[in-house]
Amino acid sequence: MFETRPSSVQHPTEHRFNPYEMNGGTIVGVAGEDFAVVASDTRLSEGYSILSRDNPHLYQVLPKTVMGSVGFHGDCITFNKTLQIRLRMYEYENNKKASTPAVAQLVSTMLYSRRFFPYYVNTIIAGLTNDGQGCVYSYDPVGSYEREVYRAGGSSAALIQPLLDSQLGQKNQGSFELNRSYTVKMSKEEVVALVKDIYTSATERDIYTGDAVFINVITKDGVVTEHFKLRRD
Amino acid sequence: MLSLVQRNEDEVLKETRSIIERSCIPPGISSIEMPPFRDPKTFLAQYTKPDSAVKIKFNRGTTTLAFKYGGGVIVAVDSRATGGSYIASQTVKKVIEINPYLLGTMAGGAADCQFWERVLSKHCRIYELRNKERISVAGASKILANMVYSYKDMGLSMGTMIAGWDKRGPGLYYVGDDGTRVTNNIFSVGSGSTYAYGILDSEYKWELSDTEAYELGRRAIYHATHRDAMSGGMVRIYHMKSTGWVKISEEDVTDLHYKYKEAEARQ
Amino acid sequence: MSGLIKEPEVGGFSFENCKRNEYLMTKGGFTVPKAIKTGTTIAGVIFKDGVVLGADTRATDGNIVAEKNCHKIHYIAPNIYCCGAGTAADTEYTTRMVASQLELHRLNSGRQVRVVSANRLLRQYLFRYQGHVSAALVLGGVDINGPYLGSIHPHGSSDRLPYVTMGSGSLAAMAVFEDRYKPDMSEEEAKELVADGIRAGIFNDLGSGSNVDLCVITKDRAEMIRPYHVANERGVKQGNYLYKRETTQVLKKFEKKVHYEVMSTNVKEIRPAAETMEIA
Repeated sequence: MFETRPSSVQHPTEHRFNPYEMNGGTIVGVAGEDFAVVASDTRLSEGYSILSRDNPHLYQVLPKTVMGSVGFHGDCITFNKTLQIRLRMYEYENNKKASTPAVAQLVSTMLYSRRFFPYYVNTIIAGLTNDGQGCVYSYDPVGSYEREVYRAGGSSAALIQPLLDSQLGQKNQGSFELNRSYTVKMSKEEVVALVKDIYTSATERDIYTGDAVFINVITKDGVVTEHFKLRRD
Repeated sequence: MLSLVQRNEDEVLKETRSIIERSCIPPGISSIEMPPFRDPKTFLAQYTKPDSAVKIKFNRGTTTLAFKYGGGVIVAVDSRATGGSYIASQTVKKVIEINPYLLGTMAGGAADCQFWERVLSKHCRIYELRNKERISVAGASKILANMVYSYKDMGLSMGTMIAGWDKRGPGLYYVGDDGTRVTNNIFSVGSGSTYAYGILDSEYKWELSDTEAYELGRRAIYHATHRDAMSGGMVRIYHMKSTGWVKISEEDVTDLHYKYKEAEARQ
Repeated sequence: MSGLIKEPEVGGFSFENCKRNEYLMTKGGFTVPKAIKTGTTIAGVIFKDGVVLGADTRATDGNIVAEKNCHKIHYIAPNIYCCGAGTAADTEYTTRMVASQLELHRLNSGRQVRVVSANRLLRQYLFRYQGHVSAALVLGGVDINGPYLGSIHPHGSSDRLPYVTMGSGSLAAMAVFEDRYKPDMSEEEAKELVADGIRAGIFNDLGSGSNVDLCVITKDRAEMIRPYHVANERGVKQGNYLYKRETTQVLKKFEKKVHYEVMSTNVKEIRPAAETMEIA
């Protein structure tokens, strides 16, 4: 059956190159009633150097599904490429494009397939559900996932998520009533304005976020991209 | 009485044989790529250190509990996921709905539990289609145990409880990432389990009414979230009945805190 | 000796916790708390009449900007200043200690201190601690021998050069200097060159950021220009994030009567604010 390795066996020391790098970047996703917003800054860095000032961490995987992916850029682009192929296979096998929830499940299994040598990526999937509602899914590097109302990922996640909790989740502001809705009650314009403010603030304090922000607004008519400048230091 | 035991043993034997047959080649193994190095556990450990620039943090940390009583099985969980000291989520679904008669719980690595219990649900469905009857809780939990056993020592992290209802009545099993599989009336798993056991053991009896049972589960999770920083968010209660599971409640722990405080003050 | 109260420490570093900390790190699973680093661009140039020193104003703690407008050009003597890169505390205290010693030296000798003295004190101090005092410095000043500019590395080596850069942004700044430095520049030319060097660091090095600070030292004066240039303006907010009154939930209210006795009464005329402003 299965061969289990005796733990007492001494192995020679392995020397291996470091397969990962942290390339910075911040992504934010918000689900609205009939839209979803997903945003990313455009900075790509390595250590104290800027590799690119014009590299949004957003990947349009389907006409109305966008993936935000940050962490190790090499894994981000490889994962995106593999996902695109899998989605094309899906289309040919099922004679239809995958829905956003289907993409969400596929991403989870694909991430888990590398459980023992993970993709170093933080992922957010944004799009619309089958009944036209905005939806956002977030993942850990090995594919644990959940549908959420809003989510920040990447180098400024710990700076932004509390702000989203306050501004979109209305956390600790009087009512402890559970919000059972999967969307925010704000308009597209309000969400986009909030996202811009979030990025100007995150850029102030996170060295790996800056240069510009790309905001993708997904509606039933498709994806509209907005560009907003940030400080470049 | 003797014949009853005899029949059960036969069934178990038949079932176990067929399960082992099929799970020898662990389901899903073809979909998990093997790493190009020897020891994935130590490989990953170097990227979870706090001083590493590259940080791969899996979501984990939990209080979950389940107990059998006269009215079935109660499953109660919190909803917090932590990656290091960061609260990754307060809304995690730690009760995994495998099928209408089976529930799994999530403790340890969130992805490991989510993935393997999804694979399990696939196998349970295939079993149903092949055998024209639902799988037993014993069988389902054994499939899971066999699957994770084949990945032993490779760094999987899961402490899960499988609760269900089959022809033997309510069923409850604990399945660990090392392949452990045990059955009992009460289980609690996760970083807050000691606090939960404290409440559970002092109040538990087989004759609990349904409402008493829900309240016991709720209080046990609430108190665990109160003392364990890794647990929190909301308390979810499920009830496994002969007719399948029912979701009982979902309450914010802060809300519960003030409710309990108020009740205390009224006394 | 075996008194209950510990003897007061003699001056200098205390190493008494080193063994304990080592144990905590290896066995206890603790990590060393991180010191704030000034991942920095600092630079200096000699011009016709003196020296121009420059620095950015960002201090970082890992990937977080710890301070957006910090001082990196430290005072050594009225005619000597010193830019610091490395651990913020080390640069701050090393330069302060040397400033104090030089002030005593000045009082003893009754003469203006020389930059070479500052250089030697810094070098010897840093060498003594074998690079554990993490200070990379750009030292500049004007004394009886004219302008002096040099760099000192954390292990105690030093160079004397007409144009120098240090810190994580040193390569960016040096690229600018190598391109455009020429001897005997005017003050304005030198200031713009240094500012451009610092700006190169601010924009291309993630450890450097915010503003450009300059310090111009000539025979007769030393002038700190802070900021010389605000290289980055903060973005304008779109929304308003003030919480409505009574957002915080009131869980409990209680009143307590405070008993007091009237000791005296004093009547004062309250003037409109505009008038008081005039007096000031």
